Amino acid sequence: MSLTPVVRDEYSAPFFDGAARGELMLRYSPSSGAWSPPEARVCATSRAADLEWRAASGEGALVSWTVIPGRSRGGRPAADTVVGIVETAEGPWLTLRIVNAEEVAPAAGAAVRVEFVRPEGGESVPVARLVAGS
Amino acid sequence: MNVTPTAIAGLGMTELGRVYGRTPAQFALEAVTRAAADAGLTLDDIDGLLVNPGVNNDTDLRLQSTLQLRDLRLLSTVQGFGSSAIQMVQYASMAISAGMADVVACVYADAPLKEGKGSGAAYAGGGRALSGVESLPAAAGLKSAPARYAVAARRHMETYGTTSEQLGAIAVAARAWAAMNPLAQMREPITLEDHQNSRMIADPLRLLDCCLVSNGAIAVIVTSAERAADLAQPPVHVWGWGQSHPGYANHRGSDFGLVSGAAQSGPAALKMAGVTVDDIDIREIYDCFTYTTLITLEDYGFCAKGEGGEFVASGALAPGGSHPTNTGGGELSSYYMWGMTPLSEAVIQARGQGGQRQVAKNDLIMVSGNGGVLDFHATLIVSPHARTA
Repeated sequence: MSLTPVVRDEYSAPFFDGAARGELMLRYSPSSGAWSPPEARVCATSRAADLEWRAASGEGALVSWTVIPGRSRGGRPAADTVVGIVETAEGPWLTLRIVNAEEVAPAAGAAVRVEFVRPEGGESVPVARLVAGS
Repeated sequence: MNVTPTAIAGLGMTELGRVYGRTPAQFALEAVTRAAADAGLTLDDIDGLLVNPGVNNDTDLRLQSTLQLRDLRLLSTVQGFGSSAIQMVQYASMAISAGMADVVACVYADAPLKEGKGSGAAYAGGGRALSGVESLPAAAGLKSAPARYAVAARRHMETYGTTSEQLGAIAVAARAWAAMNPLAQMREPITLEDHQNSRMIADPLRLLDCCLVSNGAIAVIVTSAERAADLAQPPVHVWGWGQSHPGYANHRGSDFGLVSGAAQSGPAALKMAGVTVDDIDIREIYDCFTYTTLITLEDYGFCAKGEGGEFVASGALAPGGSHPTNTGGGELSSYYMWGMTPLSEAVIQARGQGGQRQVAKNDLIMVSGNGGVLDFHATLIVSPHARTA
């Protein structure tokens, strides 16, 4: 389950600092009271410029997903890659690797919990774990 | 709307598909030269040039020099990805209407395919280090166009019950049309079983849900309807157009995967043309994937939202069906020239030059362009008939 490493830039430093602590950082506008996704430069709801980084709950639900078949190399079978859109409990969407699709079948609306992994050579990044029985 | 009526007077196409050893500029040179000759014009008659670079953005304003065009009154690149071809016809029409130019060549050229490498590599982007939060989807594994469209298609399936077999019906219909198109790369008929047995690229999209990445170029010549009437080919009159770029919120309530820009662009084009969706005889729909055809047909109003699966499975799109669609085989079976694929087939059908695949009733043709992952949409309505006021 290797993810491609990502390095930080100045803008994303608080996001990756949060990820290293095990916290999912999203953007929040005090003036509108609305959350925006990490890449938002202005509030997705009000266009206000007062966005700040704030820790989210890490809870969410699966919106949609794809399964990309692994390509076997040298006779060794490769694992499928499962990637989906997660709607966080706060509202913003994140596109995340789903780490346990072979144990819990993905379905629209299924509950997920955000976890973090740190690929070699990169920052900690969020991934999604499907909650069994949701 | 008070605009000078315009028409597409020329169409130029190079050899398309796995054609190697030529640069996009060389393809573009040939396509524009052919389009001018097709219209009965020379390159000297062209006073406007709009260039849509392909995925690698390596065709640009230097094309003027390649074509040795002098004293252009309009020159620009247009980059709306798959919506660009229709956008160029719109901008050309507006420039002509404003008296800014008389004869505008619009060209798309690209050569993403490299000999010995697959289609996936052509659009993979290649080797850039990932940086910042904008890179999180790619880091998670969502890199290829099929994977990104697969997420959209899966949402449609989960919401409306659309099935892989229904998407397959779109592929089967496109191939049936392609079998009658000498320019199509894939002309061997396929069955739904073939579709279901084709290898999974990114679930739910199989190989036969995906378009044929191609090298080549296509150009059209746009001029006033009045001038087009005196040229070599039957004019293809421009009746209406629209654009819509949804800017999907990456947030709760987003319509991503469920509604595309076609839902606004289509009605705008129909309104400008003064017709309704029921008046449309032929549909040339941007079909980078089967699912793109389905959602566009829904959003244009050829069936109700969510009923696209049943609609396409009825055989409506295929030869002999109630709603002839992608009559050249589309990007799925013929050639992937971004928005020039549906536009070129619309010109051929409007002229009545479709040969074995010509649709008898061709009075109004609706053409779509789609770019990004449903991010950019443009619509054009054309006809062999001049529009009466």
